[in-house]
Amino acid sequence: MSSPAVQFRSRMPRIAEAAVERARLTVVPRRRVRAARVPFVTLVSLVLLGGVIGLLLFNTSMQQASFATTSLEGQASTLSAREQTLRMELDVLRNPQHVAEQARRMGMVTAGSPAFLKLSDGKILGTATPPDPTQNVRIVPPAPAKPPVLNPAPTYVDPPADPSGHSSGHSSGHSSGQASGLVPGASSDGAGHGDGTKNHTGHNNPTSN
Amino acid sequence: MRPTRPPQRRPRGSLRGSARIRLRVGFLIIAMVLSVFAGRLVQLQGIDPNSYAAMAAAEGMVQVSLQAERGDILDRNGKPLADSVDGMMVVADPLMTSDKAPELAKFLATRLDLDYFSTLKLLRTSGSRFEYIARRVPATKATDAVDAAERKGFTGIATRPDPIRDYPAGDVAANLVGFMGTDAPLAGLERTFQTQLAGHDGSSRYEVGGGNRIPLGESTIKPAVNGTDLHTTIDLDLQWYTQRVLSQTIEDSNAESGMAVVMDTRTGEILADADAPTFDANHPLEAPDDARGARSLSDAYEPGSVEKVLTLSSLINEGKVTPRTRLSVPGELDREDRPIHDWFPHGLIHLTLAGVIAKSSNIGTVLAADKFAPGQLRSYLTRFGLGQRTDIGVRGESPASCRPTASGHQVQDRIAFGQSLSVNAVQMAAAVNTIANGGVRVSPSLIEGSATTDNGVTVGTDTTTTHRVVSEKAARDMAHMMERVIDPDVGVAPAAAVPGYRVAGKTGTAQRVGTACGCYDGTFTVSFAGFAPADNPASPSTWSSRTPATAAVAVRSRARPSPRS
Repeated sequence: MSSPAVQFRSRMPRIAEAAVERARLTVVPRRRVRAARVPFVTLVSLVLLGGVIGLLLFNTSMQQASFATTSLEGQASTLSAREQTLRMELDVLRNPQHVAEQARRMGMVTAGSPAFLKLSDGKILGTATPPDPTQNVRIVPPAPAKPPVLNPAPTYVDPPADPSGHSSGHSSGHSSGQASGLVPGASSDGAGHGDGTKNHTGHNNPTSN
Repeated sequence: MRPTRPPQRRPRGSLRGSARIRLRVGFLIIAMVLSVFAGRLVQLQGIDPNSYAAMAAAEGMVQVSLQAERGDILDRNGKPLADSVDGMMVVADPLMTSDKAPELAKFLATRLDLDYFSTLKLLRTSGSRFEYIARRVPATKATDAVDAAERKGFTGIATRPDPIRDYPAGDVAANLVGFMGTDAPLAGLERTFQTQLAGHDGSSRYEVGGGNRIPLGESTIKPAVNGTDLHTTIDLDLQWYTQRVLSQTIEDSNAESGMAVVMDTRTGEILADADAPTFDANHPLEAPDDARGARSLSDAYEPGSVEKVLTLSSLINEGKVTPRTRLSVPGELDREDRPIHDWFPHGLIHLTLAGVIAKSSNIGTVLAADKFAPGQLRSYLTRFGLGQRTDIGVRGESPASCRPTASGHQVQDRIAFGQSLSVNAVQMAAAVNTIANGGVRVSPSLIEGSATTDNGVTVGTDTTTTHRVVSEKAARDMAHMMERVIDPDVGVAPAAAVPGYRVAGKTGTAQRVGTACGCYDGTFTVSFAGFAPADNPASPSTWSSRTPATAAVAVRSRARPSPRS
């Protein structure tokens, strides 16, 4: 490596020697500056880790917020539905028909005509009449007429002429058994509920015959 | 050497082949695979790419319809006549419910007030996966019931939104408000103003994971536009009272039907418009068909003697008569085709014009109306608003008929006392209101402010028009004459008196044309129109701050109630 430089120098005029001397390049040993690797790696990994964890936390908090949103939305819709239901009930309560029925139940009547007092000269205009409850406006429509199916004409049955003729007419022991079952049931059973059931069966049996 | 060479060469040459062949085969296989990929790519991207994109998007994508809230219908004080409430429908999947059907049916029947047996049948429907168990249940009630059912271990029932239209006042103003069917409005203001009330549904699309919206996921929202409230001029309390009085009147007189209109004298706002019989808007199907309309507008009737008010005020306005004009009224007046009678038998009597009104004499009115020039009465009646739709925003209004006078003198005679022409109750109220309002007709209105019907007609108090029909003096004279109708000594309708008020009015009984024969069939329309206070109604009364109002009532009677008018 040094040989070309030696040749070069030998061919140089002397006058330029100083300059050549100054300009001579020498190979210096490569100086490797080794930056401290640890802090950088730490920093990068910290940034990375921070980023990942931050993103994770951010995402989690967003999810959390989404859960909260869903549940709060549900709550809001439940509450608004509740409010509307209550408002509906309120509207039913202040419906004039309802108010009037309540008022009637409390004994209020339609007002009579008032008299007016003039403050300027103390004159009374008109005549005050007390309300007349018989003149109340009917506020409840009359019940609709029942169809004939629900409102059958009463059937009248002539009672048997005398009890002896009745028992003789029904010859079988069946009717006498009923009669014996009916009489003690109606008379002897002290308990009200027993009484009722006995009576009931007593009524049912003759019709089913 | 020979036997050993071939075994060495064969595995190298024949099994793997030369490198070039291997390369070619490899490329061929790669090309084939790539072309398959390319083909699939063309299939996915070139042919119908949208359906695949939609399928991809549908994974975890939720589309929710945001329902617009229907606008309320309010009375003049803001009380609701119709309002919308959040509702739910309860639906069931019978495949999942049929196992525990009896228990679930019992549970639902008690919680939602349902019929046990029909619920049981629905829960057991075979081959179905969707049945409506209950519709239009208040949201809280439905969700509470379904949550409780889930806690008890029942599966297969769910809720879905199903808005409820509620009519808190029931039958009050139902004839005007109308009602809703399952999905669409079927009658009344609900239907006339459907566009305004309905609003526009919106929609929302978002991605969902595990029941929660995915943050930063795709999400688009098109907000719903709620319907606009409709403000009417109806006064809920007055409407209720009018309806009850009217239905009581109809029951007591054993009449068929009736209508009553109450109108603010100065503004023409309709405060109450009652029909009887009417229906409960919450259960419209329980009423007969003909009870579900607005009779006060759709049914035309012959006004009878009430119309004399219009005839005589026009005559006074023309200066042909005054209230003191004397008329000699014979007991019977022969006109072209048949004689005209009065409701009360009499010989030749002398009446003033005021007496003609107070006694409601047909013959007197006809004699006075003879002073009209031909066609004059008709033009007056048109200016009073007869024969034209009032266009207050109610469907199916009848314009009624005000026949041309050309069809004969007899017809003009009959029109003069209120037969051979027809009106609807609102027209009549507006016409008589002209007298109450000092001769100026105010067009009636039912909507506060203004609103546009689905037909594109703008109605409401903002479009109210006024025009003078008769002079103020003619109106005042007429009002004084009408007060005498109520006078217990001389008039025919003392029952209409209101203590403390000066009431002016006129009764009418008109023969009614039956639909069956198209002729007068022996039934009558009994009507009354009046206003109070009669002393200067155009300005607030000195000792009463009540709004002056005009009322017109008409009742379809099966028989002539009492020989009046």
